[in-house]
Amino acid sequence: MARRATIPLILALLITALGFATLIVVRGATSPPLIYGASYAGMLIIVYIVTRVWLPHADALLLAVVALLTGIGLVMIFRLTYDVKGIENLATTQVLWILIGSAVLLFIVLFFRNYERLFDYKYLFALAAIVFMASVATPLGYEVNGAKLWLHLGPVSIQPSEFARIALVIFYAGYLADKREVMAATSRSFLGIQLPALKYFGPVAAVWVASLVLLVLENDLGDSLLFFAVPLLMLYVATGRAAYVILGVILFAIGALAAYNFVGHVQLRVEAWLNPWPHAQQQCCYQVVQSLFNIADGGITGTGLGAGFSQTIPEVQTDFIFASVASEFGLLGATVVLLAFLVFVYRGIKISMLAQDPASKLLAFGVTAMFAIQTLIIVGGVTKAIPLTGVTLPFVSYGGSSVVGSFVLTGLLLVISEKAGKAFGSESAYKGA
Amino acid sequence: MNKHLRRIFYLFSAGFVALVGVLAYWQVYAKQSLADNPNNGLQSRREVQAPRGLILANNGQTVLAKSVKNGSEYKRVYPQGPLYANVVGYWSQRYGATGMELGENSNLSATAEPRTLDELINQMSGGPQPGNNVELTLDPKLQRLSYNLIKNSSSGQGSVVALDPRTGEIKAMVSYPSYDPNNIDKRFPQIEKDPNHPLLDRAAQGLYVPGSIMKTITAAAALEKGVKPTDVFNDPGSYYPMGAGYAVTNYKGASYGNVTFTKALDLSINVIFAKVAVEHVGAKALYDMAQKFGFGDTYDQFPLQVTPSSMGPPPSKWDNNYLATAAFGQAQVQTNTFEMAQVVGAIANGGVMMQPRIVKEVRSPEGVILDRPHPSVKRRVLDPQTDETLNQMLRSVVTQGDAGGAKIPGVAVAGKTGTAETPSGAPNAWFISYAPANNPRIAVAVLIENGGDSETHAVPLAQKIMAAALKETQH
Repeated sequence: MARRATIPLILALLITALGFATLIVVRGATSPPLIYGASYAGMLIIVYIVTRVWLPHADALLLAVVALLTGIGLVMIFRLTYDVKGIENLATTQVLWILIGSAVLLFIVLFFRNYERLFDYKYLFALAAIVFMASVATPLGYEVNGAKLWLHLGPVSIQPSEFARIALVIFYAGYLADKREVMAATSRSFLGIQLPALKYFGPVAAVWVASLVLLVLENDLGDSLLFFAVPLLMLYVATGRAAYVILGVILFAIGALAAYNFVGHVQLRVEAWLNPWPHAQQQCCYQVVQSLFNIADGGITGTGLGAGFSQTIPEVQTDFIFASVASEFGLLGATVVLLAFLVFVYRGIKISMLAQDPASKLLAFGVTAMFAIQTLIIVGGVTKAIPLTGVTLPFVSYGGSSVVGSFVLTGLLLVISEKAGKAFGSESAYKGA
Repeated sequence: MNKHLRRIFYLFSAGFVALVGVLAYWQVYAKQSLADNPNNGLQSRREVQAPRGLILANNGQTVLAKSVKNGSEYKRVYPQGPLYANVVGYWSQRYGATGMELGENSNLSATAEPRTLDELINQMSGGPQPGNNVELTLDPKLQRLSYNLIKNSSSGQGSVVALDPRTGEIKAMVSYPSYDPNNIDKRFPQIEKDPNHPLLDRAAQGLYVPGSIMKTITAAAALEKGVKPTDVFNDPGSYYPMGAGYAVTNYKGASYGNVTFTKALDLSINVIFAKVAVEHVGAKALYDMAQKFGFGDTYDQFPLQVTPSSMGPPPSKWDNNYLATAAFGQAQVQTNTFEMAQVVGAIANGGVMMQPRIVKEVRSPEGVILDRPHPSVKRRVLDPQTDETLNQMLRSVVTQGDAGGAKIPGVAVAGKTGTAETPSGAPNAWFISYAPANNPRIAVAVLIENGGDSETHAVPLAQKIMAAALKETQH
């Protein structure tokens, strides 16, 4: 395991510094207070050192990738908002979120080396996740852009689904690890199809359905896709039965058809996907059309940092930040960012493969799948490869809940990799796995 | 479990690869079509942040359009004002672009694909990428002279196109009344409402009744059908193309008796041309000859918009009355000075029509020549012998006929007058001509709309333009 990743981490921080230097020197942007840059870099270095000391067998390369992605995110957020009245301090706010996320990650690194204890509370996690997600329906919740996803807690507003996903992944991993053998076994046959005992599916199906119903009611299509796919893939990995995936795809088709016919919001999204061009100036399609114009404008090499026009995309610094990257860094830069994500996913899968017990494997896999699918959903959405559903690009998009949630998931991967790495012993064995 | 984990990793990887493919589709394959989408405002946002290229006259000195820094943005300025407006056009964030600003936009705009290493480096470092400079073939002296001649003409409405018949280079292209393209965003609503339609390029976009200049095309068709310049025709003063009913008569009711075909052109005798067209040429041959000379052509390779000239309905629908009147440029025949300059230029150039050109060269901001179009043949219209015969006839129009006003001391001039009846007001005064007739260097088409008779109101103008052009090219 790449336990050491000092050079990649330094490179990532240098790239970020170079980005800011370009904006300040070439574009004449006013420099944000240096203290934010220093505390950002300092915090990531502290996290790295603590991880190396406290979890010597953990996969520290994850931290270098996180540094690269959050750094690119910071540069882009700064570039997109520094001259926009009202949101000119968004980059420094994002630094605060990263600091909070890093603090939580440190907490996990320091105190959750025995993360298996979490599985003892799996039902509690499931219950908490559902209650948390349902809380947006209470007077505390409020609506943004037709989707009721936010919760006011005093001065900060948070997006419960970003945290509920952590709890749900822990629940699914714990439950499926316990029941994977009985779920894989077939007990009876129906119309020639071998069926396992349904009773073992009760809890997992209940949580699955509850989370999906909540998200669909809240109009949070992006997260519902995520909360649909991740458990299904975890079930596949746990039982090794492709039939579940096929069943899931059939359910998805039925669900999608039902949503298309009965949820007006969904119809609009699909139409905006199939042919947004005639409605380029209308609300349904303006964002995605502007996104495509900007992506195309970038060409192969990009317009250059600060020379693009992706500010024409409404709310570009959150869900659409990838369009901005593709516009200013071109096909080459966008591919590098996608590769960084793929490296993260690769390491995550590797950790899962090396983990010794099913629960750890499933947890590492669930976390990794969460990142992978979320990235595919939003990048696919802004490039019109699939219908647009609003999720953030992990680590890169602006947003406190997203950043903190992603750091928590990274912390879980780190502690799992520590245990897996220690158990496996030698580095060569790890490479060969 | 690991087997399944690996499979899912492959699935995720495939997803990422597919996304790179989708990106490549937008950023490489569909890049241009998205840039051209009418809802895409990114290009104009970029364009005001970097200077567009210059538009220059053929001396490389006279600036027709330039970008001037105005705060953080650039503003388009036209130092020559209305003089070149029909050619240069305007470039507006609000009202789009016309003329060369539109036709050469890919060169002028700061968004052109990089063509030199410097440009590539500049673009990759994200620096503002100035557009390329476009130098036109227009001669500033001829342009100004032509402009003033039309401005001070009998009706003050008309157009001139002057070209070098050997190369197809347009030397002057004037439309009057014109407009001032400076501050177009502010002035446009008023200009658009002007009853004189200054936004219309009368040289290439307007269409007008040609009258007797059309007899050059009819004569060419007749010569190809075997009519000889020395053939004698009788003009009793009228001709009934259908045997009865409508009669063709001559201008001012004249009758000329027995005359040669050359004389019929010299004196522009309608009756004889009607008779020749009906009895010797026929509808299809006349129509085909006009098409060969460029009627119906939109000149797609030419960067300015050209309205195709027209012979009216297809020849299969013509009766003899239509054919007889089309032969002297009435009926529903419509053309403009751009097209007639191509016609007379082809005759001047030994029967070979050159591709009309208005771009002399394109240079990068650093002065590197990126494009210098070479003269190219559009098509051969007449065989050399027919052309030479027609040349002699057109010379005779100036020496023996009604275009004596076109004579230049020491230079042989060829030409054809046209006084075209219009539905409203005075006739259109036309003259098409070239000189020196034995070795042409300049061809000119002049139209004064509702200007009166050709001899007094169009011929002297063309004479001045040709004389000035020949003086220019001597040096």
